[in-house]
Amino acid sequence: MNNIGLIIKREYSTRVKKKSFIIMSILGPLLIVGFLAFTIYLNKPNNSSYEILVVDEAQLFEGKLRNNKKYHLEWSPEEKSYEQVQEIFKSNDELNLLLYLPSNLIQTNSMTAKCLYKTIPSTSAQKHLTSIINEAIELYRIDKIGIDEEKYRSIKTKVNLDVIDIENAENKNIQRKAYVGYVFAFIIYIFIFMYAVQVMKGVIEEKTNRIVEVIISSVKSFHLMMGKIIGIGLVGLTQFIIWITVISSLTIGILFVNFPEKYSAENQIQQNEIFENSNLLANNNDKIDQLTQFVLYQIDWGNMILFFGIYFIGGYLIYGSLMAAIGSAVNEETDTQQFMIPLTIPLIFSLTMIPQVIDNPSSNIAFWLSEIPFTSPLIMMVRIAMGIGEGGVELWEIILSIFLLIITFILCTFISGKIYKTGILLYGKKPSYRDIYKWIKT
Amino acid sequence: MPRKNIIELIGINKSYQNYKALNDLDLKIPKGKIFGLLGPNGAGKTTLIRILNQILIPDTGKVLFNGEILSQKNIINIGYLPEERGLYRKMKIGEQAIYLARLKGLSKKEAKEKLDYWFDKFEISHWWNKKIEDLSKGMAQKIQFIVTILHEPDLLILDEPFSGLDPVNSKLIKKEIIELKKKKTTIILSTHDMNSVEEICDEAAIIHNSNKILEGKVADLKAKFQNNEWKIRYKGSNMAFSNAIWGGWKLINHDSKDDINTATIKLNESLSMNDFLKGIIDKISIIEVSENIPTMQDVFLKATTNE
Repeated sequence: MNNIGLIIKREYSTRVKKKSFIIMSILGPLLIVGFLAFTIYLNKPNNSSYEILVVDEAQLFEGKLRNNKKYHLEWSPEEKSYEQVQEIFKSNDELNLLLYLPSNLIQTNSMTAKCLYKTIPSTSAQKHLTSIINEAIELYRIDKIGIDEEKYRSIKTKVNLDVIDIENAENKNIQRKAYVGYVFAFIIYIFIFMYAVQVMKGVIEEKTNRIVEVIISSVKSFHLMMGKIIGIGLVGLTQFIIWITVISSLTIGILFVNFPEKYSAENQIQQNEIFENSNLLANNNDKIDQLTQFVLYQIDWGNMILFFGIYFIGGYLIYGSLMAAIGSAVNEETDTQQFMIPLTIPLIFSLTMIPQVIDNPSSNIAFWLSEIPFTSPLIMMVRIAMGIGEGGVELWEIILSIFLLIITFILCTFISGKIYKTGILLYGKKPSYRDIYKWIKT
Repeated sequence: MPRKNIIELIGINKSYQNYKALNDLDLKIPKGKIFGLLGPNGAGKTTLIRILNQILIPDTGKVLFNGEILSQKNIINIGYLPEERGLYRKMKIGEQAIYLARLKGLSKKEAKEKLDYWFDKFEISHWWNKKIEDLSKGMAQKIQFIVTILHEPDLLILDEPFSGLDPVNSKLIKKEIIELKKKKTTIILSTHDMNSVEEICDEAAIIHNSNKILEGKVADLKAKFQNNEWKIRYKGSNMAFSNAIWGGWKLINHDSKDDINTATIKLNESLSMNDFLKGIIDKISIIEVSENIPTMQDVFLKATTNE
């Protein structure tokens, strides 16, 4: 057992001292923070305004289409035909959109208007146009029927639906919380991949430069394999701890520098209340505010980091041991492809299933994917982010999935140990799945 | 009374999926000797060595180390230099030498002290902080040799220790092997280089097609393959030489250079060299008579081709 310690130490210290590790430790968090900042920046609605030329074929909507500075409407000359107006639109650089309201627009409840563009309008602009057209048609119709516009406006409502867990009223916005889980799942995915592949590469290195024979004359091959897996896993955890430290200090640093008065400790409780009561029509700056508030106070970071640890370790040990087996079976890295595919599929599959899980976290598929050990490290992180206990993922589900993770890990290391033991000493021909099956059986 | 043999293999069988690597093998390796483990490629030598190193477990049979069943605790008693040498290419030499020594059970301090001694002795102390990838193959081999013997094992298994070494380094390693033997280390030398077997091995075994086909002292093995061949150098007529005695011998080869003839003859069992000489001594003038002793090369070839 003393020897396995030596192996772990070597695997760990040679990797942590590498330049690439140090670079990744700094670059990784910077990339993540940069990426988040970039997404926030991109999602910020742009303030550009639209000059919109309207062709109102039946001349019904003047005064009824809402007009403002941002979406500035301009009526085309009555006498021009749609085709002629298109020419005008093309030749005038100041015009951004051409809105065509055909004369049959009011005939039924599902007619189509057209919006011609030079550069595609944003989704929010498209939504805005749809809503003002609907409104205009409604106004036209109440006019026809003889309903007073004021009465109409007074009955028009806009309801926000707050989805709240009956047992736990705090449990709001779970879908939003899920995106934090998404980020964690993604980090787990990257980490499992990165470090499991390192295990494989390490095994191939030892096999191809033949040092493995010297070492397994001193230690049991299983100890060598486990020492390598554990050592590299510790490198992964170290990397993660560095990332968390750097990311959180970067984030907090940025927030304090930008809004020092808002995030002082005394203000937290008050801010929290403001956040709870904030309405959805808040302006853009408030939205960013909300986001930072949400990130800082709504997420249970303690749990997230704890379960990240558990699911990263569990998932990594399973994939790491299987990768070690692959590494031992082949002679060079180019031979690994065929064996890697069955391992990468469940990981990528989990990643693509996350949106579905977020959409319906209590569905059957979400349950099973968060229990099956090959997918649970990613999927369970998402469900945990959406809340543990009543209404969220039940504690027993988490315990069961961790239990299954451990059982599978033991099984995988047992099988991998057998493959490793034989594979590591064989050179020459690339083994087939059938050969490997025979190694397991012996 | 101390045991004579450090290793005793009894009835070892080892099969891979569809092929038998060792077939009911018995072998004794005497203590304090240099033992040549010989055999063509694929004969089963590597399997045998891996069994001694406990990398492989035999299907049936026993391995005794100093009379006891070989176990994990003997790892420290054995040093192994595999044929395919390998060290971590990107790890510093000193660091990896200490690591490998510690795997064999030395403490960090012991390892450092011994390494200092050997690095000094081989005059390579300035390599300590270099990486293997910066060294030539022969240099790396020296390091590997040091690492193998560092923990002063009782049994040293060297698989082709001289391959790839220049004559100077080859001699250096040979000298060290003989030194180790003087210190009572048993050495198993697996090699195809029959000259070095002849030079340094006390005993040898030949393994062929998964079976042991020969075993014994090197001198005895050679004696066994002696076939009464003689070389006679003489002056005089070769006709006279040929006709001196009728029957009982066969001329294998005849050479003349200047006026000296060299004949290689094989005597039948009925005829002794003395009688042969008596018959020719008046007819020619003899310069030299010597028996052709087979080299280990001959022994090996004869044993493995058409025994």
